[in-house]
Amino acid sequence: MKRKTILVILAGLVLVSLLVSAAGCPAKTESQYPLHDPMVRFKIATTTSLYDTGLWYHLEPIFEELANVEMDIIYAGTGIALEYGRRGDVDAIIVHDRAREDMFLADGYGINRRNFAYNFFLIAGPESDPAGITGSTASEAFEKLYNAGLNDPDTVKFVSRGDDSGTHAKEKLIWSQAGFDYEEIRNSGKWYVEAGKGMGPTLLMANEMQAYVMADISTFLAYNLKSGLDIVSLVEEDPIFLNVYAAIAINPETHSKARIDIANRFINWLISAEVQDIISTYGEAEYGRPLFFPIAGCDMPGCPPVEDYTLPVPEYTGS
Amino acid sequence: MTELWEGLVTAVKLIISLDPEVMQIAGRSLAISATSSAIAALICLPLGAVIHFNRFPGKRTLINIIQTLFSLPTVAVGLFVFVMFSSAGPLGGFGIMFSPAVMVVGQVVLIIPLMLGLIISALSATDKAITDTAVSLGASGFQMSVITFREARFGVLAGLIMGFGRAISEVGLSLMVGGNIRGFTRTITTAISLETSKGDLELALALGMILIFIALVINIGLNRIQQR
Amino acid sequence: MSMALIETVNITRKYGKQEIIKNISLKVEQGEVLALIGPTGAGKTTLLRLLDLLEAPASGHIYFDGREVTDNKNRRLQTRRRMSFVLQKPVVFNMSVSDNIACGLRWRKEKEATVSQRVNSALELVGMTEYSSRNARTLSGGETQLVAIARALAIAPEVLFLDEPTANLDPVSAARIEEVLAHIIGEQKTTVVMATHDMAQGQRLAGRIGVIINGELLQTGSPNDIFSTPQNTRVAELVGIGNILGGVIANRDNELVGIDVGGGLIQAISDYHTGAEVHALIRPEDVTLALHKDASSARNTFEGSITRIFPVGALVRIELDCGFPLLTVVTRQSAQDLKLAVGNRVYATFKATAVHVIKRWN
Repeated sequence: MKRKTILVILAGLVLVSLLVSAAGCPAKTESQYPLHDPMVRFKIATTTSLYDTGLWYHLEPIFEELANVEMDIIYAGTGIALEYGRRGDVDAIIVHDRAREDMFLADGYGINRRNFAYNFFLIAGPESDPAGITGSTASEAFEKLYNAGLNDPDTVKFVSRGDDSGTHAKEKLIWSQAGFDYEEIRNSGKWYVEAGKGMGPTLLMANEMQAYVMADISTFLAYNLKSGLDIVSLVEEDPIFLNVYAAIAINPETHSKARIDIANRFINWLISAEVQDIISTYGEAEYGRPLFFPIAGCDMPGCPPVEDYTLPVPEYTGS
Repeated sequence: MTELWEGLVTAVKLIISLDPEVMQIAGRSLAISATSSAIAALICLPLGAVIHFNRFPGKRTLINIIQTLFSLPTVAVGLFVFVMFSSAGPLGGFGIMFSPAVMVVGQVVLIIPLMLGLIISALSATDKAITDTAVSLGASGFQMSVITFREARFGVLAGLIMGFGRAISEVGLSLMVGGNIRGFTRTITTAISLETSKGDLELALALGMILIFIALVINIGLNRIQQR
Repeated sequence: MSMALIETVNITRKYGKQEIIKNISLKVEQGEVLALIGPTGAGKTTLLRLLDLLEAPASGHIYFDGREVTDNKNRRLQTRRRMSFVLQKPVVFNMSVSDNIACGLRWRKEKEATVSQRVNSALELVGMTEYSSRNARTLSGGETQLVAIARALAIAPEVLFLDEPTANLDPVSAARIEEVLAHIIGEQKTTVVMATHDMAQGQRLAGRIGVIINGELLQTGSPNDIFSTPQNTRVAELVGIGNILGGVIANRDNELVGIDVGGGLIQAISDYHTGAEVHALIRPEDVTLALHKDASSARNTFEGSITRIFPVGALVRIELDCGFPLLTVVTRQSAQDLKLAVGNRVYATFKATAVHVIKRWN
């Protein structure tokens, strides 16, 4: 090797990094993105189901074009998304757990919450349904799973998200409705499996294990088409399965760096006719039915009041 | 098996056709890890020299600690960097959370012990007579360090490459502080980790092949260096 | 008297608790060739390292050209740049031969033209011109030694330190190195301080010899002084004086004394008074053997029996019991002619002037 090898290698490393950083924001070069202002980065943390179904891939370039920003979408369950929001690491969050959303707003971390879409959960499991939950309500199904799982943990398993996400919160709610103490459930035996993963990965895991799982319909459909799931939907259409998605802007009075203007614009855009229209048809071509419902169609018990999605958020004027 | 086979075929097609997404992710991975390695090297080369060429109490202990940190868990570094650079953290003012910059910071922290330790070992492995000869021929302290580095260059280079190898192959840290943002902080490893779970096997396989190829190149390089 | 080029005053050096160098005071004069001789591990290398300012003494002072250079870091570097050192096992840097030789010059920020000119003449001096662009790591031991010497000389040092310049080399290479050194010493008038355990080499190359044993500088002097009139028994042993006989001066006749060594009375030349406790030092080479008592001018003739015979190279060493032990050497041929065998009775003869008498210190 020639002299000053180390210097050459070092120079090489520096050069490569300079070249790439000189290319500026790498996103600029990506063909699917038109040019945006790479210095304006709008960060949102989104619940995993909206991500795993591909909805954000669809919406992201449209908003980037509209607002001339680079949109950074971070994949996070509701629990983690709320934590990023509390710490001020993102500008807006997309979550689905009403109780914790209210707490987040009350604590002053978020403002301008608007609901923009909904769908339903379901319980899926092996076609043979060893626990016999087909035709049950959600609570009954959980009770049967618990009993069967304790009796025969090798055949009957339930995979929980176990990640403090909105889906996980809903699951806990159903356990308590069925009369169980959740802590007791999660420690009751090896039939109860905590995945600690996003919705898609949890579904794949349950599929591999031939286990029962609670998922939102959209992710279930998307994965069923993409990966050909062996587990099938067994329990649907319980009112408790209603799953409403909300967008919340981070309160600039708590985190002064939060980009409230873009967040407001983003939220108003989500409830606009344009996006509501996209949501009403998103996935129809591939799955034969849309994956999500526009929030305006929600008319059952548990649906948010109309002003939660019709009232545009006001412009932020500072404190 | 057919799924894997078809996936592999598509993956190879993605690579051969220089698929923009695959290439951008691979390029970004290389750029981020090269930047981290370059910064870590700029820190470790002088620091390694200072530690190696000076006598001070606790030197042995310090080197032991550095060597222990070779296997610093990436998620531990990820957590630490997250807490430091998150908006609410002490270094939140930089506003670099979920960006390539914070990934570079994390990788630098992650690989400094490895690089530093290997540089010190490489310097220690040079014959004591080399430094004696240099000093006796009138080298100043700095000139003596330079010639020792020159003599230890293959070992030092191996250390730098190992550092780069660790940076480009780690996933926990990049995922935690980078956020796997498409077109911004998505690297080979975070994409594999997330795309696999989304069932996008072809992309993951293509990226996996590229990563293995990079590892192969690194290993061939290391072997050639060590044979000298 | 002019100021010595290098002077040490009571320097000591310790490794841990062990004293490697004990209170050495030494002067090296401008232009002289000084050989430090002593057994392995005596501290020769450490003394050279102290003189070249590679190490600092634990106590004592070192002066170079009249200036104290014991502590001041910058002055030590500046002074060190006026000297060079060829290590016992020289190492070359992993670069070409000429780059190796250029190192010291480049570190002194010499102009490239000067560098290449000096490198070429150094290469010529050691006869390695055709090796100039070879990687130095591919050279043999002897060639490496030559490159190390050329590298040390390229900077035109005022003092050249050589640590065992021919140890670890085959005889042919050793002879070549010694020839080069003799040439340099003769031509360049550089001050040279060399460590060697090869007495003969010291004698051949050096104008002055210092004997170091166990960290102490026991004696300095001309080779003749050291080899024929060692000041104590340890030096005597080192320089190969095989017969060291303790005794008492029994009588005196002018400068001629009789020394009672317990079993015999040895005639010698000495100033010591009757009753003085002394050592009689006799080189085995100075003792001749005969089967019959000859009339000889030699004062000392003793009858004894052979107790041991063993060959050493071309010679045969013979131990006698003459009432006191006496060691002698003869050629193989003489040993055969005289039919020497253990138990034979022979006559050993040596001159009174061959006996060197030193005072016995308890």
